[in-house]
Amino acid sequence: MSNQKEIKNLKSFSTAAERFEGAHVLCPGCAHSIIVREILNATNDNLVVSAATGCLEVCTAIYPHTSWDCSWIHIGFENASTAIAGAESMHKALKRKGRIDANQKDPKFVAFGGDGATYDIGFQWISGCFERGHNMMYVCLDNEVYANTGGQRSSSTPIGASATTSPAGSTSYGEKQNKKDILAIMAAHGAPYVAQVAPNKWKDMVKKIQTGFETEGPVFINAMSACTTEWKFPMHKTVEASDLAVDSLVFPLYEIINGTELNITYRPKNIVPVRDYLAFQPRFKHLFKPEYAHIIEEWQRRVDAKWDYLQRREEARV
Amino acid sequence: MNKKIMELDSVEVWDGNMAAAQALRQADVDVVAAYPITPSTPTVENYAGFHANGYVDGEFVMVESEHAAMSACVGAAAAGGRVATATSSQGFALMIEVLYQASGMRLPITLIQVNRALAAPLNVNGDHSDMYLGRDSGWVNVCSFSPQEVYDLTLCSFRIGEHLDVRLPVIVNQDGFMCSHTAQNVNVLDDKTACDFVGTYKAVNSMLDFSKPVTHGVQTEENWHFEHKAKQHAALMGSTKVIDEVFAEFEKLTGRKYKRLETYKMEDAEVAIVALGTTYESAQIAADQMREKGIKAGVIAPRVIRPFPLEEMSAALQNVKAIACMDRSAPGGTVGALYNEICGALFNSPARPVVSNIIYGLGGRDMTITTLCEIYAELDKDAKSGKRNGPLQRFVGVRGPELGFYNV
Amino acid sequence: MSTKSIKEMGWNELVIGASLYSFENTINYNVAEVLPEDRHYAETNSKMAYVGDWRVFKPVWNSELCIDCQNCWLYCPDTSIISRDKKMVGVDYDHCKGCGICVEVCPTNPKSLLMFAEQVKNEEALTQWPEKSKGE
Repeated sequence: MSNQKEIKNLKSFSTAAERFEGAHVLCPGCAHSIIVREILNATNDNLVVSAATGCLEVCTAIYPHTSWDCSWIHIGFENASTAIAGAESMHKALKRKGRIDANQKDPKFVAFGGDGATYDIGFQWISGCFERGHNMMYVCLDNEVYANTGGQRSSSTPIGASATTSPAGSTSYGEKQNKKDILAIMAAHGAPYVAQVAPNKWKDMVKKIQTGFETEGPVFINAMSACTTEWKFPMHKTVEASDLAVDSLVFPLYEIINGTELNITYRPKNIVPVRDYLAFQPRFKHLFKPEYAHIIEEWQRRVDAKWDYLQRREEARV
Repeated sequence: MNKKIMELDSVEVWDGNMAAAQALRQADVDVVAAYPITPSTPTVENYAGFHANGYVDGEFVMVESEHAAMSACVGAAAAGGRVATATSSQGFALMIEVLYQASGMRLPITLIQVNRALAAPLNVNGDHSDMYLGRDSGWVNVCSFSPQEVYDLTLCSFRIGEHLDVRLPVIVNQDGFMCSHTAQNVNVLDDKTACDFVGTYKAVNSMLDFSKPVTHGVQTEENWHFEHKAKQHAALMGSTKVIDEVFAEFEKLTGRKYKRLETYKMEDAEVAIVALGTTYESAQIAADQMREKGIKAGVIAPRVIRPFPLEEMSAALQNVKAIACMDRSAPGGTVGALYNEICGALFNSPARPVVSNIIYGLGGRDMTITTLCEIYAELDKDAKSGKRNGPLQRFVGVRGPELGFYNV
Repeated sequence: MSTKSIKEMGWNELVIGASLYSFENTINYNVAEVLPEDRHYAETNSKMAYVGDWRVFKPVWNSELCIDCQNCWLYCPDTSIISRDKKMVGVDYDHCKGCGICVEVCPTNPKSLLMFAEQVKNEEALTQWPEKSKGE
């Protein structure tokens, strides 16, 4: 029996009382905000939220305004995860000592971080939290660059993307490294639940978020956040960018339970060629020069191989 | 108070690490998030032992780095409870950005800092380079010179930091090895008395208080930042009142009197040494030996280096003729910190003693009573001639040619 | 309680740690169970701020064509599509930045939300609504 509220359909979802307020200063069309609204609206529990330095943090807690209708903390770039782990530890201690009402439902502890904070500078901190098994959810808002500071590359930046510190130029096709497989890494920590979500598939996201909230222990959610400013598509096309990402299988939606049960949770009716996903975003436009055709081919090969791998693992239940 | 009481003798034989760990235990800390580093490791290990044997009701979290330790402490403190940790040197350096964040966010946290040299070269022994690194971090900074003082000041640290007029984190310093690993008699309070002295934690803007959702750790632009840093500085400066009150209450309870500026035979001193850590105690012995020779020697130490007791320091040094400011930290291209702060205290006063700067004891190099007597003898010469007879800054105790700088 | 605006406060009057409260005074309800219009927001909540001047174009909502699918509510990054009891109520023009996502995701034909230049009055916009588009 779920301890989370029942959300049957979009109409019932829309009755949620928002806890993420407008007049933050995120870009018009920002997917971070869509994701955060979906997550916060998926539960009615008390929330203790943290955010790493980055777009979400800077734009929603810039003095003298806060966009959060819940307790919230930002410390620095690396340590959104550990901040929440500290709060969770305090909650445990106070409960044990009787300074918190034992009958009050436990709050949910949620840390948000961008791909910079998650894949790079804050990686050790998240690893530590997951190894220690804190009761928390970590949500990576993955826009594949350090967006807040103007779009520098991270280890989430996929190969061929033009970022400001791995720009496409006359002698370069942009980012040279492949995107780190963060979900595999977090699953390898023995986390009870990890999943990939995208804001255009709200039902899949809400189901996974609620599963995460019901799971004891650390939960990792990698959320695809299509960034109009850095991926350079028009601001009203954020949902279309997300659709292309999941329908081309560049960003497959799946979950891994206890490190072994892999479930693919979205199978596109019509799989879109990777080429179309890349063509949609000017950060990849240089890849369409004839000399880089092999990179697009390699992209398709890798996406196909990953999809194949996911399906085989799903079947093998390992 | 923790449910399981530990029966202690009224006098225990503890080193500085055990003294710190016991004080943390008695203070009923809610969350200790820590990482081991020499020479503060035994503080954490002792506390782990207490926890494993049921003497600690709070959470004990071994994190994966010192930066994570302080980060967890900040998150825990913002969640409204009593928090502490311990570190040294490289670990302190690693958590430095979080120290500034903790104080800026006005979160009481006690940090047991066992002072150790900063690499490179790598050195695990006691000096004050890590203490000096944290000078501007906005924490209340107190110095203990013996295990007894570690115990006493750790208990006081919670009262100071958590006071509603302060709400700042507190560092309790002690010399690595010389204090942390040297066992001495420590007069201790029983668990209940110690815990009652520390008192109940008062939560301010707790994240677990859902009747008042609060946002911590915002960004302030150029139109707001200055006000908040000014407010923080004012709180740190104003903490002197609370520190004095806590010290007074502690004296009533134990008979042990602490002052923000500690002095030894300074009333009639003509020559003085300013030093921190175990050197303060060694210098007392040297001062007594010099007095037998007819030299009016005194010792002075800022017990509380932040907020710096500038007015008290200035007053105490008005009649002194020659002062040696002894800094146990590599000065990094200028005069030592104590020299700067003492001269700063004296400049806007009538006194014009001869002031010199001695760099000593780096990496745990011993500062002996004999050498301290030699320093006093040099000061006596300075006092009698009314000027220094050498460079302003001298390295004392290093093998090789004489090393001195600034011939002003 | 202080009635002074934060904008008029000196360093000595601000909340320590630059912390910000979401609501005025303490609350005795679960925020997630109380609609925004029944909450007592603090002036430091961004809900009380205005970003309407970010817009060059604004979405205009045509309630006659709307089927209350809630797509626009779901995908608005600025919590600016207001829905109550599973029905669309309108656009929060104080917080709408004019990104146009709501128009993109509107499934009706013609759309129930369309972008118009900021200076066009809504009533006028509604009279300029396009006809159903064929052959798509």
